[in-house]
Amino acid sequence: MGALISKNASAAGISVDAGLTPPEDRWIVRTQFRYMHRKDDPTPMNKEMDTYAFPLVVAYGFRPDLTFMVRQRVKYRKMFMGGSISRDTGLGDLFVLGKYKLYRENTRDYTFGIASTLGLEFPTGDDDFGSETWDLKPGLFTSWRSGPWASDFSIAYKWNGFADKGRDGLDPGDELEVDLAFAHQFSIGQNANISLSPVLEFNYKHILADRMSEHRVSNTGESLFFVSPGLKFTKSSFIMEVLLQFPVWQQQQGSQLKQGTRLIVGTRFMF
Amino acid sequence: MKRYLFLLLILMLFCGIGCNDSNKVQTVESVEESETRVYEVFGMNCPGCHGGLEKLVKKIPAVEGAKANWLQKQLVVTVRPEFKLNDEDIYDAIRRANFTPGNPIK
Repeated sequence: MGALISKNASAAGISVDAGLTPPEDRWIVRTQFRYMHRKDDPTPMNKEMDTYAFPLVVAYGFRPDLTFMVRQRVKYRKMFMGGSISRDTGLGDLFVLGKYKLYRENTRDYTFGIASTLGLEFPTGDDDFGSETWDLKPGLFTSWRSGPWASDFSIAYKWNGFADKGRDGLDPGDELEVDLAFAHQFSIGQNANISLSPVLEFNYKHILADRMSEHRVSNTGESLFFVSPGLKFTKSSFIMEVLLQFPVWQQQQGSQLKQGTRLIVGTRFMF
Repeated sequence: MKRYLFLLLILMLFCGIGCNDSNKVQTVESVEESETRVYEVFGMNCPGCHGGLEKLVKKIPAVEGAKANWLQKQLVVTVRPEFKLNDEDIYDAIRRANFTPGNPIK
């Protein structure tokens, strides 16, 4: 199954606030529901696949300039092939990330922040749900806020198998993620204690082909570009966000399934 | 033995009620004599921003209450009457919340 479907094809969504580190001693618990659909099998097997992922993220503002984050996700996968259906559930890899504030400027008119991140993914996931390697993920995030307008830009590179190789000596392909987000905030309520923000994101992801014994592994590696409209609801210490990701351009190597429209529904509790 | 335990329980109950009463009186006095200060804060951009700042400001012993408004870019602090509040402690809390203090408003 793995040869026809990339395991790491999750392009980030809802990248709002990424460049602004949270206050010291602030806890953030983030849950998400992600639905992904794969279709248009170029082979006669006519495969289709639905994946439901439930990531849970806990972040803590250790210092004003340093935030730690832990993420674990559960995935449920349903595969349709030639009239039969197979189902599979498993844990993804444990991901630990540190975010460091490089720059922040707060003025009466705008807020601007730059933060760098360094993440480490442990090979703890179940078969077909984890990468089976130690992966390193450095990233750079910027955020701009001015009045009701907000924009965020992020770039991250995932160095898969930086310290080891996967099963049978497989060297998994590295990944590049570039995200750009715009949002406009509408304040609701007498004290503006509620806000509703339409969001528009552009998500790009490039995954290099896996390699084995210095040779490219067929049916691996792809490029995806999504245009993603969404909505973000904020009330005091609660945020709810919904994002639809439309794949407007994609290129797969070999006989891989095409990416369909994706849905992200998330909540954030801050305390 | 049971009788002593019963007496002890009654004593504790009275003590508890008495302590609560004295707390109530203290709270009423505090409200009457509380000083309020308003600070300008830059960097709050949404209704979810103020919680982290209020949490840090409320940790200052001299602070009785804190309420931030992101739209007005203001932090309202109520000072405990028996304490003296140093503005620098508030500025430090604002910075630790990743915001920037402006000028004191009043």
